[in-house]
Amino acid sequence: MDWTYIQGILMLAGINMIAVLGLSLLTGFTGLFSFGHAGFMAIGAYVGAWISASPASTPAGMGLPFILAIVGGGAAAGVVSYFIGRISLNLKGDYFCIATLGFGEAIRLIFNNVNRFGGARGWPGVPSNSSFLAILIADIVAVLFLANLVKSRHGRNMIAVREEELAAQIAGIDVFRSKMTSLVISAVYAGVAGVFFAHYMTFIQPKMFSLTKSTELTIIVIFGGLGSISGSVLGALVLTALPEVLRAFEIWRLVFYGAAVILIMVSRPKGLMGGLELTPSGIRKWTAERNALRQAKATLLAEDSGRKED
Amino acid sequence: MAAILHIRDLTKQFGGLTAVDAVSFSVPEGGIVGLIGPNGAGKTTIFNLITGIYRPTSGSIEYRGKSIVGLEPFRIADMGITRTFQNIRLFKNLSVFDNVLTACHLSANYSFAEAILRLPRFRAQEKHLTAKAEELLGIMNLSDYRDLIANNLPYGLQRRLEIVRALALNPKLLLLDEPAAGMNPDETEQLMRLIVRIRDDFGLSVLVIEHHMDLIMGVCEHIVVLNFGEKIAEGSADEISKNAQVIEAYLGTSEEAVDA
Amino acid sequence: MVQFLQQLINGLSIGSVYALMAVGYSLVYSIMNFSNFAHGGVIMLGAYFGFFGLTLLKLPFAVAFLLASFGTLLVAIIVERIAYKPLRERKAPFLYFIISAMGASILLENLVIATIGPTFRTYPEVFPKTPIELGPLAIGRLDLIIFVISAVSLSFLIFFIDKTKLGKAIQAASYNVKACALMGVNTDKVILTVFGLGGFLAGIAGVFFGMKYTVYPQIGNITTKSFIAAVFGGLGSLPGAVLGSVLLGIIETFVAGYLSSQFRDLIAFVILIAVLVLRPTGIMGKVTEDKA
Repeated sequence: MDWTYIQGILMLAGINMIAVLGLSLLTGFTGLFSFGHAGFMAIGAYVGAWISASPASTPAGMGLPFILAIVGGGAAAGVVSYFIGRISLNLKGDYFCIATLGFGEAIRLIFNNVNRFGGARGWPGVPSNSSFLAILIADIVAVLFLANLVKSRHGRNMIAVREEELAAQIAGIDVFRSKMTSLVISAVYAGVAGVFFAHYMTFIQPKMFSLTKSTELTIIVIFGGLGSISGSVLGALVLTALPEVLRAFEIWRLVFYGAAVILIMVSRPKGLMGGLELTPSGIRKWTAERNALRQAKATLLAEDSGRKED
Repeated sequence: MAAILHIRDLTKQFGGLTAVDAVSFSVPEGGIVGLIGPNGAGKTTIFNLITGIYRPTSGSIEYRGKSIVGLEPFRIADMGITRTFQNIRLFKNLSVFDNVLTACHLSANYSFAEAILRLPRFRAQEKHLTAKAEELLGIMNLSDYRDLIANNLPYGLQRRLEIVRALALNPKLLLLDEPAAGMNPDETEQLMRLIVRIRDDFGLSVLVIEHHMDLIMGVCEHIVVLNFGEKIAEGSADEISKNAQVIEAYLGTSEEAVDA
Repeated sequence: MVQFLQQLINGLSIGSVYALMAVGYSLVYSIMNFSNFAHGGVIMLGAYFGFFGLTLLKLPFAVAFLLASFGTLLVAIIVERIAYKPLRERKAPFLYFIISAMGASILLENLVIATIGPTFRTYPEVFPKTPIELGPLAIGRLDLIIFVISAVSLSFLIFFIDKTKLGKAIQAASYNVKACALMGVNTDKVILTVFGLGGFLAGIAGVFFGMKYTVYPQIGNITTKSFIAAVFGGLGSLPGAVLGSVLLGIIETFVAGYLSSQFRDLIAFVILIAVLVLRPTGIMGKVTEDKA
């Protein structure tokens, strides 16, 4: 295995990681499941390609710098998600999931029919701009932004919505707005991931952004652990790299994913990291919780036996 | 005394069922008012109407002279009305401290960008929020349980934590839905003192639903009695305990009242 | 006019296959309140069971048909036991059920890709392709048979739900599962029956779908449309699922016939989004105000 090969895998994992981090905010921290994030990736990929592809290529692009493609792709996905959120975030129960599924598939089918963007045949000739360094920087920025967000009042409000929607409202939290913010940010992440994906593959096609892709992203988030950023990072690395390393078993990859999801749901719904963070402060917090539980048990036991002696 | 909350002809129907029927009463500024009645009398429905979870079929709810009918729950909370729930609704998987810290959010106003970039205003306000949450936990004797996951708290302390979380919003009117449910007489006694204390220390008005008559008679300056959605009496503890209609309503359903 | 009637017949035929699939989604939703996305995988397996029954085992059509429907009945029950029962016992939030269902769907689809392969397979010709002439109309033999058998199967389902004791228990459970359990109804049995019924009809639908089009592992993606039909009619309502399916089948055929076949798949999602915006409970779903 030479470095170029490993680098290639890492780049793909890094691109997935951006989308997974975004979905982690929506699913892990806000408690909303989406089966349509591949649609946001598609918007990012196509808008990004449109901005950066050469005007001479077919389909023709605008030939603008890569950084504008990133901004434009992310923003486009964010705007679309805002309108989708307006319609679907008030829906109860699993109807939100159903709506995201519908929108995700609709986006793909629309691209299938837009000949300006190559239709079902796809769009070749996207410039190869996704360098290893660019992806690395994007990942670092994505992690830092997300980590800072979830430790702020905005992030805590989202977590409150996940925990207990009614109590969140009574605590003065604008539940709809929290959900909306979370959805838009996660869509921007997915859009940016789409831009990097397009400029890594240099060829995009609507069927790359199918329901299966959406589900894959959700699976990685669940696998890593709901409510854990380090879990999402690890999940993206492991679940993207593993099948590449075990090439012979490539065909079994999704079989394994499906089985893993059922197993996690049935046995350990918190996933790999179970809401914990692999950072010094995360570990401190974890030990503090453990100690507090031990102490509380000891206190209650003492009180109990004290009462009996009375 | 001026009324902080004024309810007039409040009615709520679910389909054909009238859960609350033309109920009127008010909560004076700084007062502790009890809302009692047999199960299904419509007490919790009134709480849901005040806090905006339900929309009234008709009638008015005025808070400090302004109508709050039709406002979303979070806006009503923002204005200073908050509550606890009969079946405790904490942020179960968060630590005791995080439960309170989350509810402190109204005391900060840093923007989204300031949070993501960790700008000075974000840091300063976060420091303030943390201090506030610590202080509240201290006042209510929950500091020892600071890092415990809320779900692992003993039942009585969960109820207390819910009150602390409500206080974190700097409310002016606190609605307590059966705060003594499942408590032994000792704990109920403690809770009574606590309710009076937070009223005095935080300058609150309190509206409380309760089945423990000791608590109601002990702390409430004014009591409103409901039966089948209608107000059947109101007055001081003395007046209520002598009211024939109230006695009948309670004797008629005495078993339920005891069960609850 | 002739073209109109012709399209209508085609629409009814595909709509009746959707209905066979959609009632499976709705049955499960009515009792367990979640969208059983694994149902698509079960339908796909039905298509394969029928295909291999006809080609590999060289069974007569009727036997292959039964093999497929009982095969999927079994698969549906196995999926319930593995992916949902532990969640039920733990009283897990409904979102876990959907995720588990998605997992099961991916597992089934890719298990077939990994073992049988991703290639498209065409059913051997069972019924002659010559259409039945009815004046100026030409009705495909297959379309007619599909419509008749689907209608019979659905009538059987409705008879079962309305007239048998177990069917009544299902109806009661769809109103209130907890109350039913307290009344001594064996909810586990009710749930198994629901999955069994849905699975059985999924097998029939799978065979018909395979005969009308082709067999391939991603049929599950098409079955998403029958799920949309169930949402369209009102998730949890059986008459709604049938009505939604027939309407979707007809609308799709007309869109393909009069506008462009490219929009055929898109229209289903447009309907889905419109329903969710305008009336999430669908045509026949119940509107309820939930108590806090």
